[in-house]
Formats: sequence, structure tokens, C-alpha cells
Amino acid sequence: MACPCVVLCETDDTDFARCLAAHARAEATRIDRKFSRYRRDSVVHALHASRGRPFRVDDETARLLEYGAALWRLSEGRFDLTSGVLRHAWHFDEGRCDADPALIPALLERVGWQQVTWEAPFITLPEGMEIDLGGIGKEYAVDLVADWAASQSDSPVLVNFGGDLRCTGAAPRSGAWMVGIESIERSGEATRRIELKSGALATSGDARRSIVIDGKRYGHIFDARTGWPTPDTPRSVTVAADTCSQAGSYSTLAMLQGANAEAFLQSEGVRYWCLR
Amino acid sequence: MQLKKPIGATLASATCGLLGALPAAPVAAQEAPNWEVDSSFLYYGEDAGRVMDGSLTTSIRRVLDEDRSFTLNLTLDALTGATPNGAVPANSVQTFTGPSGAQDYRIAAGDPPLDPNFHDARVAAAASWQQALGNSMRWTAGFSGSDEMDYLHLGVDGRLERDFNRRNTTVFIGGAYGRDEVSPIGGAPIGLSPMLPSVGGGEGEGEGDEGGGGAGETKNVIDGLVGVTQILSRRALVELAFSYGKSNGYLTDPYKILSVVDPVTGRPVPGPVGSGLNLYLHELRPDTRTKQSVFAEFRYALDRDSFAVSFRLMDDDWGVTSQTAEARYRWNISADNYLEPHIRYYKQSAADFYRTVLFAGAPLPQFASADYRLADNETYTAGFKFGHRTERGEYSVRLEYYHQTAKPSPGSAVGDLAAFDLVPPLNAVIAQFGYKFKF
Repeated sequence: MACPCVVLCETDDTDFARCLAAHARAEATRIDRKFSRYRRDSVVHALHASRGRPFRVDDETARLLEYGAALWRLSEGRFDLTSGVLRHAWHFDEGRCDADPALIPALLERVGWQQVTWEAPFITLPEGMEIDLGGIGKEYAVDLVADWAASQSDSPVLVNFGGDLRCTGAAPRSGAWMVGIESIERSGEATRRIELKSGALATSGDARRSIVIDGKRYGHIFDARTGWPTPDTPRSVTVAADTCSQAGSYSTLAMLQGANAEAFLQSEGVRYWCLR
Repeated sequence: MQLKKPIGATLASATCGLLGALPAAPVAAQEAPNWEVDSSFLYYGEDAGRVMDGSLTTSIRRVLDEDRSFTLNLTLDALTGATPNGAVPANSVQTFTGPSGAQDYRIAAGDPPLDPNFHDARVAAAASWQQALGNSMRWTAGFSGSDEMDYLHLGVDGRLERDFNRRNTTVFIGGAYGRDEVSPIGGAPIGLSPMLPSVGGGEGEGEGDEGGGGAGETKNVIDGLVGVTQILSRRALVELAFSYGKSNGYLTDPYKILSVVDPVTGRPVPGPVGSGLNLYLHELRPDTRTKQSVFAEFRYALDRDSFAVSFRLMDDDWGVTSQTAEARYRWNISADNYLEPHIRYYKQSAADFYRTVLFAGAPLPQFASADYRLADNETYTAGFKFGHRTERGEYSVRLEYYHQTAKPSPGSAVGDLAAFDLVPPLNAVIAQFGYKFKF
């Protein structure tokens, strides 16, 4: 997952606490490995090796592909599970960026969900194209662990994988979980504090991974239609929603709106916090 | 380049497909409020025509981030009414000179001598900064000031807290330094000198003329506190604290006097020749005072309600020792309403130099005061607080009844004085209306 994964729980039941920790760790590891681009035993690796032939996926992968397809439609093509190949033109490294824009047109030919044939449970991915579930996998893992915790106990639980989080069960004794939105200027310090009584929060945008070219700042989420990251994005977008997947989707789609991020979230009627 | 229509419903449906179901509880997230305001109006009223006080207090706290906050307090007070001047009743009319000559007053035979010149207005302000140092330490620093007609206070204070044992134990240490200036109207009288008639009423004439205090007298106070809070279980915690305080400077009350009476008849004796007044001496207290106290509180949480019980023992070098016992029960009637009954018992032994009355012909003591607050006394307080929470904040009403009885110093009730209540009991009512909110 490449991020700290934390589970908080208020309970007297040490057995539940141990099970919860073990389950969270197991699920995070499982999902990370199952959809990793790098592991030979991952579904994604096998899919990429299918070379244009129909590939049968299991139920879980099918649901994730269906979700990604829905986001592609809802974002009018800006969000695309196949946009992962664009990374070959962009290298992000602690705020610095080395880019080779000349590579983009060729890479764009390998991007586009419209080129994919998806009829559950079979996916036909043209050769040279890739599927990248990184944009939705973490939030999905949070939701899985949270749903499991809710099914096991009413105790207040908070699942937090690298800032994408969801709480379940009763509200904690203090009344709400206190979540800080990290300040852009001062890493490790909270610039905003949010009281979460139920539901999820997800944050997109990370100052350490944005890039500046010719004085214009770009986020790190690619607009699949152009091959470029969207300009004029907020430095950070945090959205509150019922599930982590929904919160993450809103924040990703908002980043893809660039300068219109706030207007988009406003019209959607969701609670959000943008830092510019 | 906006999306054409809201995506919420479609996204929810897609998420349902991904996860199999959506959670029952909708999201509830809001930004933590950064401002907290707590304001109240308090009325304090003693019976028998004594003191009445109305005060308005506001406290504003600004939370800057999870580690730092700033608080500002402002209080406006208005005092009126009458308070015992330290003299004892007599079977004849008594005349007293007020400060600055302009407000002489007469007390009818048999009435308790109350000084009616007791009006004042006070403004007090305090500011403090609270900051966390890492995960287990917090410090607070502040300064305060108050100003009234004849009294100015300036002070600084600080406190440091450190957690141990996974925050189950907290040790704290604090200190305060205050510098007060008393500028009694007419100047501070010389202790144990006779009350003199006012002459003409001009400034600098009358009592202050006898080489008294001049413009103002000062007083320095330092206080130190050290203690520990320990969590005993999920429901219980205990706090223990020890405090030490030292004041020096002008500790006397410039407006209080003592009656000098005949040791057999108990009647007032004449004052200085030609003054037309009885003999009353201005009080005099030592110019240093050292106090120590120990405090313990036990707090317990039941399923719905909670209660707290505390004790304090205090001892000082004036001979005053006191014990306080207090209990509070918080009845959470519903999620939005609570009722908190409260009782308190206080017992104090008199200061070494407390004298209800002085006797003519007896040698003058080194120090003497007839202030009932330094006598042997007992106080009972009972009351309740009712609170009601709304979406924006909390309203509260507090009503307390205060009853104090005091004992005159032994041997005071000679002759005529045996028929009087030399230190009448005090009954007072406190009503406070408060509103606090965050935004």
C-alpha cells in the first residue's frame, strides 16, 4: 500500500482488537498483492500477459473493474483505469519532476477504456494497454475492513490507510474521531481539524508530489483524455462521504476538475475541504 | 468544463455494486470549531441590606491547531450595598466617618454597623496561551489585571503538565506572581490609630493627613502549586495537589475598624478629644502571610451520571486553619439536559489577631482585626446547576444558597454587648445565567 495503515478501536474485548488488527493487515496485504503491477502472482500481471485475448477475472476483480468503468463514465473519460502507462512520460520524485512530453502522444494511443472490451467476467485488453487499480484499491481495502469490523462488533473502529479512512460502529467516547488535515506548509501539523462521527474521509493531492512547469503547478492525477495532469488543482482535497470509495472518487474527480474543483464538490452537495 | 449533472446517485449505486451494500449510517463530518465562547451574568445578594454584586463575564478561546490555543477573559463587576465595618452594635447612635470625609454615616442604636459606602466597579481581564510540547507535555502562561476605584492588580501565571503511564498519570506544577496596589480613598490609615472626624472634605485632609499611606500601598503575592492526577480505572480518577503561597506588603483592609468598649459595661468609650466620635481603631494585620494547603478530589463516572467529592485543608501563619468538603453530582437527565446538585461545607478557625472588640485600658495588641472573614466561622452552601444543550451551544442556570455563621472572639460579650448578635450570620443567594457556544 506504500503508506502507514492504522486501525483504531475502542473496546474492552482484547480478542476482537487482535482479530481486527490481524484481519486489517491480512486484507491490506492481500489486496496489495492481488492487484500489484510488480508481482508475478498478481491478477494484474496475468491480465497484462494475456496479450489481447479475453481474460476471465474473479468476482472481486470484476466488481473493481465495473466500478472503474462507472468512474470513467461519470468523469467523461478523465478518470481511466488504463491511464497507468502515462507514468512512462512522467517521473515524480520528492517534488521534482522529470518529464518527457514528446512521449505522450504515443502513450495516449495506449490509453482509453473505450478500447477495452468488458463483459463480466471477461475482459479483453488490447496488447500494450495496462490496467491500474491504484486509484481505487486503497479506498476499497478500507471499506472491506470497515464492513468486516461492523459485522463483528458495535465498538467504535477507525480504519485509516494513509489518510483514506472510514469509521464504523458507535461514535467514540469523546463523541467523534478527530482527524487533522495536514498543512501544506508545515508537514506533520494539522491545519484543519475535522470531527468525524460516522462515515469516511478521503484526501487527494499531496504537495510533495506536485510538479511545476513554466510556473504552472500540476497535480499528479492524469487526465486520461489529454495525458497531462490537470492544471490549477487544489493542493489538497478532502471529501466526506458514506464510504471511503465514494469519498475517494469524489476527491479524485474533483482534482480532475482543476480550477473547478470546489464548484464541482459544491454542486454535488458533499462536505469537502480544499486547500489551495 | 463542468460535468453536466450530479453524479451522487450513480456513484452510490456503483459503490453498492462494488461493496455489496452501503452502510446504514450516513456520513457525519464537520470542521471542529475554532472558537469557544462562554459568557455569564452572575448576581450575588446578601440579606439584611448588605452587599449586592452583579457581574458579567466572558471567556473567549481560540483554538489555533491541535497543539495551541489562546484564551481571553473579561469581567465587569458592579458592587453596591453595605458591609460590616468591624465595629460592634451599641445602645446609642454611632457615627462613623467614611473615607475622604464626604460620607459620614450614622447607625441607629441597636443596629449592626454596616458601612454603606460600599460601591465599586471593577474591570478584570486575563489572557493566556496554552501549548502542547510533544505528545505528553503541555504548558500554559498568562497574565491578568484588574482595576477598581482603589485597587489595581497585575499578575502573571504559568503551569506545566506532563503525562506518564500512557496518560494515566499527569503531574502538574504551576506558579503565579501578583502585584497589587491599594490606594484607599483618603490614603491608608495608620494601623491601630483612632478614627478621626473628616475635616472640610478636601483631599489629603482627614485621616490621610496623619502621615498615612500616601498615594498607595503595595502587596506582592507568590503562589506555587504541585500535584498529580491519577486515573484509577475506566470510571475513576483522583487528584492530589499541594499549594503554597506567600504574600507581603500591605495586607490590611484600610476601611475596617474595631470598636473600643468599656470592659464592664460594653459601651463605646469616647474617641480623641474634640472629635465627637467614639473610639474606633483602624485595623492592622501583619505584613506577611504564608499559606499552605492540600487538596484531594475523587471523581467517578457511573453509567449515565457522574459525581465528584473533594477535600481541602488549609493552614497559615496567621493562625487560620480551614477545612472544606464539597460534593457535586451530575445527573444527565437526557442527552441535552443535566442537573447538577452541589453542597459545600467550610469551617475555619480564627486568625490569632482576630478580635471582635477591644477593651479600653487593656494593652494594645500588635495586630488586630474585627473582619468577620477572619473569625471562627462555618459556611454551608447548597445549590444546583441546570444545563440545556441546543444545537449551537449550552444554556445554564445556577442557584446557590450560602449560609455563614461566625463566633465572636471569647470574652467579647460583656455588659450591653451580651444582648447583641456581635457577628451576625450571613445569608446570600447566588444566581448565575450562562450561555456557551462554539463556532
